[in-house]
Parts: sequence; C-alpha cells; structure tokens
Amino acid sequence: FCPGCRALQPPGPRPDLFRLMECDRSFRIDVQQLQRRFRSLQRAVHPDRFGQRPPKEQFYSEQHSSLINKAYQTLLNPLSRGLYLLELNGVEPAQETDCDADSVFLTEIMEINEKLAEPKNEDILEEIETLIKVKQEELTKEVTAAFERDDLQEAKKLLAKMKYFANLEDKLKNKKIPS
Amino acid sequence: GAVGNALSRQVVDHYENPRNVGSLDRNAKNVGTGLVGAPACGDVMKLQVEVDENGKIVDARFKTFGCGSAIASSSLATEWVKGKTVDEALQIKNTDIAKELCLPPVKLHCSMLAEDAIKAALADYKLKQDPNKKEAEKKA
Repeated sequence: FCPGCRALQPPGPRPDLFRLMECDRSFRIDVQQLQRRFRSLQRAVHPDRFGQRPPKEQFYSEQHSSLINKAYQTLLNPLSRGLYLLELNGVEPAQETDCDADSVFLTEIMEINEKLAEPKNEDILEEIETLIKVKQEELTKEVTAAFERDDLQEAKKLLAKMKYFANLEDKLKNKKIPS
Repeated sequence: GAVGNALSRQVVDHYENPRNVGSLDRNAKNVGTGLVGAPACGDVMKLQVEVDENGKIVDARFKTFGCGSAIASSSLATEWVKGKTVDEALQIKNTDIAKELCLPPVKLHCSMLAEDAIKAALADYKLKQDPNKKEAEKKA
C-alpha cells in the first residue's frame, strides 16, 4: 500500500515467496505460522475488500491475492517447497532420464503403479495409501537433512523421488473417488 | 493455449488402442528389459524386447504409467522395434517418435524417455548375451 495515499500498489517483480510469507528461506518451516500469515495477508488484499476502489486497485488486489495463493501452496507442500528452494539457489530440477542406477527404486514405483491399476479393492488401496504416506514422510525427513547440510545435489535427487510418489498419491486419490 | 493441451489424433489412438501392453519373461536369456523414469514429471516406463537367434526383435511389450504422450511414445516404440535387428532398433530417435505422434514441444521429453527405454532394453539384452564381458567389467 502507498504510505502517502494508502492506495494499493502492484506486486513487485519476481517476488521472493518466502519473504512474502515472512518465512525463513529454509526447507524447515512452521506450517501454522505460514497459515496465519496466509490468512492475514488475504484479509488485507482480497478482491472482496476492493469492490469500491478504482479498477486499477481492484486489478492489483487480484494480482496480490493470486500471488499469495501461489506462495502459500508452493511453501505448504514439501515437494514444491523443495523445488522452489532449488530454483532460488540456481539448481535446476532433475531432467535426465533415471535408469540403471535407480532400477531398485523404479521397480518399486512400477510395482505400486501396477497394484493401483488393478480393479478397486478397499484393503489394497488402504495398504498402498499407508505405504505412500510412509515413503513420503521418510523422503521429507531426508530432504530436510540434505538442505540443512546444504547438500543441494542430494536434495535434488530426493525431490525427484518425491515426484514419483506425488503422482502415485494423485492416482490413489482419483481411484478413491466413487465412479 | 488449447492447441498445446490438445492430444493429437495419433496420441489419442495409442492411448485408446495401445499396442503391446504387457510383460515378457525378464528371466529369459533372449529378453531385454529397460526400466526408465522421467524425474521432472514422475512418469515410469518399462519396455521389453524378445530377440531371436538371428539378432532380430520378434516381440516387444511395454508398461507405462504417465501422461498420454508417454504411453503413446512407448506404444509406438514397441511397434517400431518389432522386425528390426538390435542395431537397427538402436537407431530409433526420439525426434522420429515425436514427429510421428505430433508431440507438442512441452511433451518432447516423453519421446526421449521412449528412446532411452529402447536403449536400456537393448543394453540389458546385450549384457545377458555376454556374461563374460559383464564379469570382466565388474573386475575392472
């Protein structure tokens, strides 16, 4: 907001999402603090509050609100948070095809996918859901440790693994939706 | 925009009528198995080839979990390798696959994944034919 006339200003170019949400630029975050910050920011800039303001400010409010949603979603989810941190540190996410070195891991992913592709069975789905959750928690711990010792290459590898499990999680969710 | 997100007719065809889905016996000496993954999008692809005594690929199967373009790329790959020799199959380029399927730029990596899967399957087959070489490489 402009200090003089209190009119809403546009968001700055290429904002730092951590700074925007008042979080330290680190993989470890305080989720409750993030949620509080999200709610208070949205209260200040939500388009509903700018119905009476000039069109330019209404537009800025939409931009701010979108940006805050994006920042919140990015930082809330460990995978997107990790990938964003890599980006801020100038490390590109993994692009090279995974093959020989990762065959044990890929075999595991393949097997879970095959089980998920089978006709819907409540017990098996529950089993798979638990397995995915456990693996994601393990990986999140390992990613936290990697970032803490500034091992960005290891973080990059682990985040790639998390991506495979994130896809499985989505597929599981879709499978659980009653058809 | 809409054009970028629409699946080409070719991709839809492979998606709705996939060819060669399934598995071959990975323990058979004349079967090569390639298992690859794309870390950026989390797609996984398994491609297997069965090679006869003349070095010709007589059967191929795939299992892909991922987007329509990845499924179509691997389906097409199994079609293309059949009837080729191992060396001929190694010449298959991702650009050919992408062109055949009219893949948009954002999906080019799917055709690359299929090319990598073919190469991995053939490398596995070659390794199985020459266990001595494998031992020598291990000792080196």
